[in-house]
Amino acid sequence: MELLNNLYTGFSIALTFNNIIYCLVGVFYGQIIGVLPGIGAPTAIALLLPLTYKVNPTSALIMFAGIYYGVAYGGTITSVLINVPGESSTVMTCIDGYQMAQKGRAGAALSIAAIGSWIAGTVSIIILMAFAPALAKFALRFGPPEYFALTLMAFGLLTVFGGEEPIKTIISTMLGLLIATIGLDVVSGMPRFAFGVPQLLGGIDFVVIICGMFGIAEVFFSIEEPEEGELVKSKLRLGDLFLTWEEWIYSRWAIVRGGIIGFLVGIIPAGGITTASFLAYLGEKRYSKHPERFGKGAIEGVAAPESANNAASISGFAPLLALGIPGSPTTAVMLAGFMMWGIRPGPMLFQKNPDLVWGLISSMYIGNFLLLLMNLFLIPAFVAILRLPYTIIMGFIVIFASVGAYSVNNNLFDVWMMLGFSVLGYIMRKLNYPIVPLVLALVLGNLSENSLRQALTISGGSFSIFFKRPISAIFIFAAILAYLTPVIRWALKRLRHVHIDTTSSNT
Amino acid sequence: MRLADFIGGLVALILGLAVIFFSSQLNYYSEFGPGPGFLPLWVGIIITGSAVYVIIDILKKQRKAGVFFKPRTRLGLQVLITIIVTFLLLPLFGFAIGLALFIGVTMRMMGKHGWILCGLTAIVTAIGIHFIFVSWLTIPLPQGLIGW
Repeated sequence: MELLNNLYTGFSIALTFNNIIYCLVGVFYGQIIGVLPGIGAPTAIALLLPLTYKVNPTSALIMFAGIYYGVAYGGTITSVLINVPGESSTVMTCIDGYQMAQKGRAGAALSIAAIGSWIAGTVSIIILMAFAPALAKFALRFGPPEYFALTLMAFGLLTVFGGEEPIKTIISTMLGLLIATIGLDVVSGMPRFAFGVPQLLGGIDFVVIICGMFGIAEVFFSIEEPEEGELVKSKLRLGDLFLTWEEWIYSRWAIVRGGIIGFLVGIIPAGGITTASFLAYLGEKRYSKHPERFGKGAIEGVAAPESANNAASISGFAPLLALGIPGSPTTAVMLAGFMMWGIRPGPMLFQKNPDLVWGLISSMYIGNFLLLLMNLFLIPAFVAILRLPYTIIMGFIVIFASVGAYSVNNNLFDVWMMLGFSVLGYIMRKLNYPIVPLVLALVLGNLSENSLRQALTISGGSFSIFFKRPISAIFIFAAILAYLTPVIRWALKRLRHVHIDTTSSNT
Repeated sequence: MRLADFIGGLVALILGLAVIFFSSQLNYYSEFGPGPGFLPLWVGIIITGSAVYVIIDILKKQRKAGVFFKPRTRLGLQVLITIIVTFLLLPLFGFAIGLALFIGVTMRMMGKHGWILCGLTAIVTAIGIHFIFVSWLTIPLPQGLIGW
């Protein structure tokens, strides 16, 4: 009954004319961003963030969420038609999607991606409606030790899901924490790492960093390694969008499995939608009775990862709204938005701002439905966007990033800082230092440090407080396990080598 | 790439040591609990330790080869320099005209588009920036000495 009540509250907000327009703008913009290579959801939202200071937070968040799941739909188009993922979350779709397109089944690939995304997305919203408040209720028991342990676990999980070199992930995470400490210390009022520069006393704004590291750094990357693919020759007709009965039989359970994997990965801090689609594809291939079909145009190889990435983009809102812990760079940018409007996501959000929470969640039903229609009927229009010269797209990114950075404090210092961070981001990525851990650590840095200090103040300096409380102990244990994963992997590899060596020397 | 990776590790090491040095000047512990230097010191120690690991790893084994400077890196550098020049000129031209010039110049330089198209795009961009950001969103963008 409470669920229906919440749904009613949500729809009464999401269905206002204003919010429907924001939702439509969000999903449309997200879809375009998804189609365009070289610009992702975090950048798209970060570039808009400074421009939405004056917008009602609920409406702006409805738009941002629309961008997030819209991007997951849009990236599919380029994956299928030109074998270039518009988004990292649609990398796996290239494998079988492009093969299908070459066999003249591009329409079916796009269709199943849209339908699968819609089914998995809609079911995920229903589960999110039940799960998020329960998680929030559970999180009411969290004190400073639990919050510190939770952030530690999130950082640890980054080393599992992060880049190829865990040690570099750790350095990136620490760099994020370090940047978060710049400015006046909230407890003692002492300046830290400001070096007498007055503009640094207030800390470096998140928007400045993200506009540089995701926006302009991405421009340098796209110039250096342009993603060019060849558009499939055959023309898309509306009739091609219909699935054959056999295709539907192959995909229906793939959608369910992909959706479940996606939802579960999405709620893990640091899980993210790319990991979700990756795992869903691998899972589907392993489960399939005909794994040999994969890579040759298997429709379930499109259905599973596409359902997974959309489910994960929805379920990622659970830790963000209920705990205030973002699991992906996009939700991290949204957390920055919450902070900008002075709203603190977490367990109390459901009680203090029910309109915002339920309005946002209900808007996802509308957004997903709009995307389904767009992806069934407007694909040729989105393909046309691909003809836009990159120099113009690049120009727009530079304009939005510069104006965005300037508008944070209305000074040029931030614009220069943004450029500095873009160079740092570019070099880090080239040297295999992942950016996502830096961003997550940056946005969680204050929460992490403050909870650590509060917890140690409560315990009189004893670290045992983290182990005495069961929830905190579980998180700490998970964090240790996550940090040890590279060592465990290394040990297993060594063991296997030793085993192979001994068996080969015996023969 | 190995050299670039090595330099990257070295920079991380210097950063880590600098963080340890500067955070040791802050209070590690206050009477209420950990002080402002507590977390930064540990962050510095972890960065230093990890950087040492990265450097040893590079020196010890042959890592997979890759090139830092690619054929098109030069083009990226050109864009960076154009952005720097644009930002330097912003106090003179203001945001609308300065960024519009940037678009025009890069379209000409990178896209090899015709002068007329570049000029028209620049004009439309300047008008767009002015109306969207200044008039509609009321962001007080600097207008520069000869700007708009």
